[in-house]
Amino acid sequence: MSFRRKLLAVFALTVFLSVAGVAWIVSAVTRRAFEQADAERTVALTAQFRREFSRSGEDVLRRVQAIAGSEATMHMALALSHGSPDYATYLSEAKSIAENQQLDFLEFVDGQATIISSAQWPAKFGYKESSVSNLAQSVSKNAFLKQEELPDRAVLGLFAVRAASVGEKPLYVIGGRRLDKDFIASLELPAGMRAMLYQNLGPGFSSQLLIDPSGGVQRADKLSPLISKIQQQGQEASEIVHWSSNAADDEMIHAIPLKGQEDQLLGALLVGNSRSTYVELERRIRAAALLVGGGGILLAVLLSGWAAARVTQPVEQLAAAAREVAAGNWNAHVQVNSADELGELAEAFNRMTHELLEQRERLVQTERVAAWRELARRLAHELKNPLFPLQLTVENLTRARQQSPDEFEEIFRESSSTLLAEIANLKAIISRFSEFSKMPQPQLQRVQLNDVIHGVGRLFQAQFQSSNRPAITCNLALDEHLEPIAADPELLHRAISNLVLNAMDAMPQGGTLTLRTRQDGARLYLEVVDTGSGLTAEECERLFTPYYTSKQHGTGLGLAIVQSVVTDHGGRISVQSSLGRGTTFQIDLPRNMEKLPAAGQQGSSASI
Amino acid sequence: MRPFGWRSLAASSLLLAALASAATRPQYGGTVRISTRIAPASLDPADGAQQDSITRRNLTRLIFDTLVTLDNAGKVQPALATSWKAEPGTQRWEFWLRHDVKFHDGSPLTGDAVAASLRTANPKWSIFPNGDSVVIECDAPAPNLLGELALPRNAIAKRTAPGKIFGTGPFQIADWQPGKKLTLQAEEGYWNGRPFIDSIAIEMSKSFRDQMISLELGKADLIEVAPEQVRRTMMEGRHVVTSAPVELIALVFARDRQSAEDGKLREAVSLSLDRASIRNVLLQGQGEPAAGILPNWISGYAFVFPVDANLRRAQELRGEVPRAPVWTLSYDAGDPLGRVIAERIALNARDAGITLQPSLSGTADVRLVHVLLGSIDPHIALANVGASLGLSQPKFNGSSVEDLYQAESAILRTQRLIPLFQLPAAYALSPSVKAWNQERDGTWRLPDVWLETEKP
Repeated sequence: MSFRRKLLAVFALTVFLSVAGVAWIVSAVTRRAFEQADAERTVALTAQFRREFSRSGEDVLRRVQAIAGSEATMHMALALSHGSPDYATYLSEAKSIAENQQLDFLEFVDGQATIISSAQWPAKFGYKESSVSNLAQSVSKNAFLKQEELPDRAVLGLFAVRAASVGEKPLYVIGGRRLDKDFIASLELPAGMRAMLYQNLGPGFSSQLLIDPSGGVQRADKLSPLISKIQQQGQEASEIVHWSSNAADDEMIHAIPLKGQEDQLLGALLVGNSRSTYVELERRIRAAALLVGGGGILLAVLLSGWAAARVTQPVEQLAAAAREVAAGNWNAHVQVNSADELGELAEAFNRMTHELLEQRERLVQTERVAAWRELARRLAHELKNPLFPLQLTVENLTRARQQSPDEFEEIFRESSSTLLAEIANLKAIISRFSEFSKMPQPQLQRVQLNDVIHGVGRLFQAQFQSSNRPAITCNLALDEHLEPIAADPELLHRAISNLVLNAMDAMPQGGTLTLRTRQDGARLYLEVVDTGSGLTAEECERLFTPYYTSKQHGTGLGLAIVQSVVTDHGGRISVQSSLGRGTTFQIDLPRNMEKLPAAGQQGSSASI
Repeated sequence: MRPFGWRSLAASSLLLAALASAATRPQYGGTVRISTRIAPASLDPADGAQQDSITRRNLTRLIFDTLVTLDNAGKVQPALATSWKAEPGTQRWEFWLRHDVKFHDGSPLTGDAVAASLRTANPKWSIFPNGDSVVIECDAPAPNLLGELALPRNAIAKRTAPGKIFGTGPFQIADWQPGKKLTLQAEEGYWNGRPFIDSIAIEMSKSFRDQMISLELGKADLIEVAPEQVRRTMMEGRHVVTSAPVELIALVFARDRQSAEDGKLREAVSLSLDRASIRNVLLQGQGEPAAGILPNWISGYAFVFPVDANLRRAQELRGEVPRAPVWTLSYDAGDPLGRVIAERIALNARDAGITLQPSLSGTADVRLVHVLLGSIDPHIALANVGASLGLSQPKFNGSSVEDLYQAESAILRTQRLIPLFQLPAAYALSPSVKAWNQERDGTWRLPDVWLETEKP
């Protein structure tokens, strides 16, 4: 990853983490604040419900008390004291009194709990009132919650019991007011809150028993788990209800159990607190965070770009210049735009390239002089050998003019032959130097290295077994699975031949020559190993220098040609040697199949 | 005592006698104001789409006449027909018409008009005029044809155009606002004598409560009184008149008995019913508990059907049925009394272990129904009840009381019907209404009524 990208990533990550952290903290604080506000509002509503409950109970109690003390009730009690009352007389009595007193429920019940008149169920006269366990005890109590059975269903109501006694037979007045949607509607609710009432009138959950100020509650089954929980535990419980996939519809529902005289669970007040405000705020925080984060990241991009322009551009220029230097262009120069560390670095680089250039020039000059010297030495050495016989022959011919014509003729003929031979020798020397100077560029084609080695082996087979010299054993340890390479077979053959010749020269007493090949990935390795006299370390260092030779009659161009061929193929050559034990030349060649001409490559693919 | 004193005493006595005589002597004139719950859309007596009621029948009899009528004893009396004759087999009847009778449009009553009117009400009959008479040929022997012809639906009407109808009754239509108001004018040339009152103004679609308010405010002279209000109305000093029981309250099962267990449950429901409590309390002592279809005053044998509750037997029957269904019990939404009765019945049934759920749904398992007997003729009344409730028609083997009893018992044995009560029709009158009289079946005799004018 580039420095610029790292810088961008660091900037963006820093901004993102900062914004995310701030957003999370704000969300957490907001949530906590809302939860606290929810709890406070729920407590306030619950308190209001209890006040309303109490107030309504007192109202019911007051009205029941008034009915118990009314003249109509006294007449009824008086009739009761005289014996069994005439139900027909009082059939509509409770209903009309209840209407006058604005009560939903009103029953007149005798001491045996027999209903004399019922407002809510007129047809129930003569039946027992079983929902109040102990009428006599209930008389002294405040209003209480009670389940009231009606002809078609049961309902919840807030009831009070009072008695009117004339003589020894008490007449109980049981009056009440329905705990229904109107009661719920009487609660003053802040915005975002609502109250519902579940009438626990049977086992399990029934959506029809859940009401709110508008009547039935839509999708009431969502509240089933909460209701079931308080049915089982009988204690307050809370739950977030997800009404839809939209989180803004979520509602925190707090359930407060409502119990009757005997602590039985008769209902539950459900206080719903909409989370829409909180969700909306959370969304806004998230949106703001995203906006700020996005802006921050954009700013980070710009900042990183600016910083990169300030920091990485000089570095990149330096890197590009270094690559140029590595590629051989030592004239690379970096523009210095600042006076900071990067500027100093650029100046140092420029000084370095400048000094390198000067050193290279000096080295080139030195090497050029050395090379010329070496060349002159070699030329002198090479030319001196044939020149001396030429000189002797010419001197012999000069002297031979003093001889008889026949003797001169014979001497002239011999001398001419010697002169031609030495001149041919001189031509050969000049030809080799000329060849080295005209080394051709490789003509790449698909080549099996082993085939080239086999060709060299066949070429030298006769010389290995020549009777004029001690025998040399040639071992071919070739990897049969070598893949073809892109190479010039003629140049390779020439390079390997030179190495073989060099090895033969190193083994005048005979020995073993080993040619070994192997492949490692995309590179092929050739080792030429002899068991000759070996080389010194100094010789090894100068071995590939042109015109350097450790032999008496070498031109010093053989290994230089080998190195030139290997280098032109993109390979490397190295030597390992120890005196008295032999020398190993290792050639490392890339396959370079991609450098083949297109047609040849296709042909190669086809052959595979 | 001095002679002057005797003369003065005699003169005073004569004056008081004259005044007393004037107070009880019928007076012509005035308008009787009637308030009623019914709201018919048509006055056509043959229009079967209109809800049947005692009041509607009475309105029909004010405007229209029938060929014959039935008196309180159930005997046939001549009306528009002065005489009649049935051929052997009672399939062909001939009626001779009264002369000099005119419709309210002035046209005479003819055989053609009578035949046309009866054909409208009875399409299956073959009816044709025969000079001064009308011949009716039924598709089967019709021994009760006279009772049928006495029904209001067979009143003779002249239909001249859609909605335009004329009768021959004591009053003619002066103003008609369907379902709202009807004004009748006394027919001067009524064949049975002009009524004392000049007109009748009928306000329709009035609840019992509104009717009572109208009576108390002096805006009505004749109102209907709900059975459960009769006692209170009388206690308040109102003049209340009631008929003999003419309306049956019953439970009707929607389906025929499905199995023996179903029959046991139906019997258990019947035995659980405390009719006495319902009558005494909910009906405020009005009506008669009934286990038969026809009231005793018509059939004469209704007392043989037991009406007392037998809760123990009901519980035993319920115990013989392993699993009892929950039955819905419907009642008329506009009938507060029906609701209370239904709720009481549900309580009684619950005591027997059977659940009856009161409901306003029309598709209930059991319905609480009110049905008019329709006729003082027991055979016609029994057939009318069966037809009204969708029960199988009674099969009479003869015209004897025993045959009637067998036919009624056969209907009851189907267990589709549980009779509960026979209710009378009740009306409250203003003090100015004099000479009020009605038949036992609740038929008004308004032509005899006169109004006492207010004293200055």
